[in-house]
Amino acid sequence: MPAESDIKIMPKSVVCEESTLNGDITISSGCVVHPSATIIAEAPIVLGENCIVEEYATIAHRLKDGAASDASNTLHIGANNVFEVGCTVEAARIGDKNVFESKCFVGSGVTVSSGCVVGAGIQLRTAQVLPENTIVYGRQALQREAIEKQGSQTLQIDFLRKVLPNYHHLRKPNYDPKKARSVV
Amino acid sequence: MEIPDTYYSKDEYVETASGNKVSRHTVLCGSQNIVLNGKVIVQSGAIIRGDLANVRTGRYCVISKNSVIRPPYKQFSKGIAFFPMHIGDHVYIGEGAVVSAAVIGSFVYIGKNAIIGRRCTLKDCCVIEDGAVLPPETTVSSYMRYTAKGTIEGGQGNPCFVPAAMQDEMVNYTKSFYEHFIRTPAPAS
Amino acid sequence: MSFMQPSPVKYACSCGIVNPINKLFFCRHCPKLRCGYCVSHEVESHFCSNCLENIPSSEARHKKNCCANCFDCPCCHHTLSARATTVPVVRKTEEPKDGESAGAATPPPASSKPSAVPTTKKMYYLSCLSCRWTTRDVGIPDQGVATGTWPDNECLYQARFNTLMEYYQSVVLQEKQEKQEFQRRKAPKAHKFPSLTDRTGLTVSLIRRQIGWSEKNVPKTKPLNITPAEAISELEDLPQDIFTQPINLRNITTVAQRHSQPADQPTAVGNLYPQRRSLWIKRSLRCRQCEHNLIKPEYHPTSIKYRIQLFASYHVPEVVMVRLEHPLEAGQSNAILLKLSNPTMYDMTISILDEKPTEEPQINPDEFQATCKIKEEAVTSSPLMKVAALARQTLTKEVTREVRDVANAKIKLLESEFVLNQRDDSKEFDEEVQAQTEEPNFIVWRKGNKVLLRLQFTPAAELEVNDVVTLGFFMQYTYVNTVSNTAEKKEPTTHTLSSRLFIDAGRIEKGN
Repeated sequence: MPAESDIKIMPKSVVCEESTLNGDITISSGCVVHPSATIIAEAPIVLGENCIVEEYATIAHRLKDGAASDASNTLHIGANNVFEVGCTVEAARIGDKNVFESKCFVGSGVTVSSGCVVGAGIQLRTAQVLPENTIVYGRQALQREAIEKQGSQTLQIDFLRKVLPNYHHLRKPNYDPKKARSVV
Repeated sequence: MEIPDTYYSKDEYVETASGNKVSRHTVLCGSQNIVLNGKVIVQSGAIIRGDLANVRTGRYCVISKNSVIRPPYKQFSKGIAFFPMHIGDHVYIGEGAVVSAAVIGSFVYIGKNAIIGRRCTLKDCCVIEDGAVLPPETTVSSYMRYTAKGTIEGGQGNPCFVPAAMQDEMVNYTKSFYEHFIRTPAPAS
Repeated sequence: MSFMQPSPVKYACSCGIVNPINKLFFCRHCPKLRCGYCVSHEVESHFCSNCLENIPSSEARHKKNCCANCFDCPCCHHTLSARATTVPVVRKTEEPKDGESAGAATPPPASSKPSAVPTTKKMYYLSCLSCRWTTRDVGIPDQGVATGTWPDNECLYQARFNTLMEYYQSVVLQEKQEKQEFQRRKAPKAHKFPSLTDRTGLTVSLIRRQIGWSEKNVPKTKPLNITPAEAISELEDLPQDIFTQPINLRNITTVAQRHSQPADQPTAVGNLYPQRRSLWIKRSLRCRQCEHNLIKPEYHPTSIKYRIQLFASYHVPEVVMVRLEHPLEAGQSNAILLKLSNPTMYDMTISILDEKPTEEPQINPDEFQATCKIKEEAVTSSPLMKVAALARQTLTKEVTREVRDVANAKIKLLESEFVLNQRDDSKEFDEEVQAQTEEPNFIVWRKGNKVLLRLQFTPAAELEVNDVVTLGFFMQYTYVNTVSNTAEKKEPTTHTLSSRLFIDAGRIEKGN
């Protein structure tokens, strides 16, 4: 199991201490990780800016047979994604501004582009590519294309950034990209 | 069928003066904002997000394992606000349910792994089936049953979907659930 | 076990269908068990299940049983919510800022209305929070108010439908008139004696004319002439590219979407329009035998109360299966523990029988019905209600079917009958100081109105492993009826009633 020190938390992000973070994880600035959220990085995960990971949400980057667990096999998650309560996301690639609603499951063969919404309780297990602005909805996981991208969650993040520190112990930001650059 | 006894260990559960039985293995965020009005059971793994807004439950509620009670938010032009959440009396919330409703009436049954979207309104005496998904802002009126298929069925006086005596059924059920939720008897020494 | 699971204890309704007690009703006037299949269902009130507004039935009919304010998503059939955006009402083409909406803004078509006032204005559009469909998807302009102004989706053939409907209505009217005319001619003299008007040589119509009333006989209606539909033999050819163009399934509607918009049944998602939400009803249930209400809900949509509620669980002793003493084995004697509770305010004497007890002398059904009806008539003196009662008359036919005996275990009957004490809610808070009385040995414990009963039985020897063991017996109980059908008797009467019960005890676990 990789050590805790593999977790890089950039400034201005709110990461609750009661979350479970395993492996080489980089959490970019502006992210909010709620208590009881889980991120499992068998290979490195980079969480983009302004993402929200809610309770019981699980983001996993599973190691496939023979794949290396080094930087060449990094899962880059784009900016402004929302992982709602109880979702499990193991997607191969995740773009920007996606919403994974409650208790949805996105398997490892799925490539999620940008502006997509995976509806509550939907299971996507087969290998597929979700084109931009795809909405997956309903019991039969029907797909349609939205005319516009989902709105950003900055207002929610602003609120959470204000409120969560009053109630939770947070993991301290330990990695400043500016400083890191000066060291290198 | 009579509800079988459920035993819990003395170490795991805290019993308050008003009769609430709350597992220690729960995440009660902002506990000063959570009001449990007595004889409420909160089972292990449940999360109640009192930090986001006030959460208030009535008497004889059951919040089962791994369920998440999360006040809903609404986005306005100048920011977002989380709304307080009120749950009535004799409400059963099944295992793994995600509840983000604005109001839950009394005598409501929420099945296992049901998802109640943001700002839903569940009126008194309604039933949410196991695994049902309620999109945000759904209203389920009294004596209606929200099915796992996503349809709403029933209505007062229709005995096929929600029992006509739903109120009595839920009172009996939650009361006997509470009465059968008992501490493991200490081994005779 | 939750009440959501099927209950193992079932009661046979008087119509022969087996039901758990929570689906049964008890008609106090008959007095018999009734279920949802052997009562008549009536519409009590109309309401919209989304906005919870009560809608009078005349208005409901006028609005084609749809809510005026609520819409369903044409895409996923969930309810649409109104979303507000603030639109700057100025000439410069600035991107409107999104207000409460979660979606990013595109310039709504309506906002381009030029106006001199340089202020912002709230505009609304409808949005589905399940599939993110919005009214902007199909180009419906945003509205200044949230409800009431949404355009109705007039279908192409609406005018044709209207003329067709008018035509057939007039055809029906004409047929009716002809029928009446025919009957009048066929039976010219209904009266034995010539009536007063006949003797004076006046006819009814003449008198009417003299008083100045309008002619009673409405002039015969002639069906309007409509242009008949014509069959076309020439059809447009299929477009050339239909076999060559790859189709985009996302732009084609599903069957469910087409069915929800039956008037035009669009094939492309671009033609989906918000559908008005259909109304819901509250029902009242009425016993078909005596025409008394079994259930009458409160009028208001949000009320959960009943004005009349004759649930079986309020009148019939409830039997709850607690547990079996041993795992089930074919041919091996076993015992089941049953909890009986008395919901009434009178003590009940209960006995368990294995065949139908001889009924107490039944009241003659016709006579009984007649007395009931007289009472009803006295209560409802308004002529409208009488008409309703007459209309119901046709429904009173009841098909009784035999209860299928599915029991496959032999019950060891109890040595004696026993008494189930009355319900006393205050006892719940009392200290337990019950004097131990001499109890028959089949009673395990007794508390208040509840008794735990031990009933011995033997599953049939020929049952295989995994077969369901069903116990069947008759429970005879005394029931004190506080309502009486006849006027002279005022004291409560005591009936001896019986219900047939089936208990699904479980599956055989071991063979022998």
